[in-house]
Amino acid sequence: MSDPVSAVRQRIRGLLVDLFGAEHPVHAAPDEGSLRAAGVSSTGLVRLLVAMEDTFSFEWDDEVRPEVLRSIDSLAGHVVAVRG
Amino acid sequence: MDLRPDRAAAPGTAAVRAVIRVRAVPWPHGPAEQSAAGRAAAAEALAAAGSTERTVPRGPGGRPRFPPGFPGSISHTGRLAVAVVVPGAEAVGIDVEDAVVTARTARFVLGERERRTLLAPAGPYPPRELFAAKEAAFKALSGTGDTPDGLPFWRIGLNRSGGRLTARYGGRSVPVWTRSRTDHSLALAIRRRPAHLALIGDGKP
Repeated sequence: MSDPVSAVRQRIRGLLVDLFGAEHPVHAAPDEGSLRAAGVSSTGLVRLLVAMEDTFSFEWDDEVRPEVLRSIDSLAGHVVAVRG
Repeated sequence: MDLRPDRAAAPGTAAVRAVIRVRAVPWPHGPAEQSAAGRAAAAEALAAAGSTERTVPRGPGGRPRFPPGFPGSISHTGRLAVAVVVPGAEAVGIDVEDAVVTARTARFVLGERERRTLLAPAGPYPPRELFAAKEAAFKALSGTGDTPDGLPFWRIGLNRSGGRLTARYGGRSVPVWTRSRTDHSLALAIRRRPAHLALIGDGKP
């Protein structure tokens, strides 16, 4: 049975496929890798954040720390933290 | 795309000249091709600006590191790479966007006041242009010419005065020039050096 962070990571990867298609280079990036370095543009990042709000039923805080937005792993950790 | 910042300096700041170069991103239009096209555009812009150093190595976090005295910025989409060099400026940011910015994305990126006063149809700007303006401004205000990983650039506030956008963040402001075509929007933000610093300078253009 997967831990909560792993499950959220998988959901985020599913969102990335939905948003950018299965051929996007981000799918080859490790969970801890920079989304930006993997080719996720600024518009792409915002689309992902919006999709995460819908999928995980939370809203991004304006004061979210920049490092939270860096990778699939950091995003998943934030989701698990805010959802308790 | 024509994007000419006015050369007249704002009171208390030094006049600057922006050199912009554009390159097509070759197939398969991935991160490697985008990065290479961006650096090629930057090399052309540096040459046109008078720099003898024309390479842009990667700095910390992979950010482009322009030669001293020639601050610059690079942006790319899957099809287009754009670079700008502004000799003598304190910092500069450029952004090109070709993605559709939906109403939901616009609500995420733009505050209520910005949507009410700037965003079409109430205001004069399409959402993609305002998105590009915020990212370009953030690059200039952060002084890196790039958007660091995950940095929430949408927190920048935009205002319009005298027909031009001004971006503010963290107590600092920067003018932003924008243009849009059907398939993309371009924004350029230039932080000028105070005139007295430009005069005593560092011996570079």
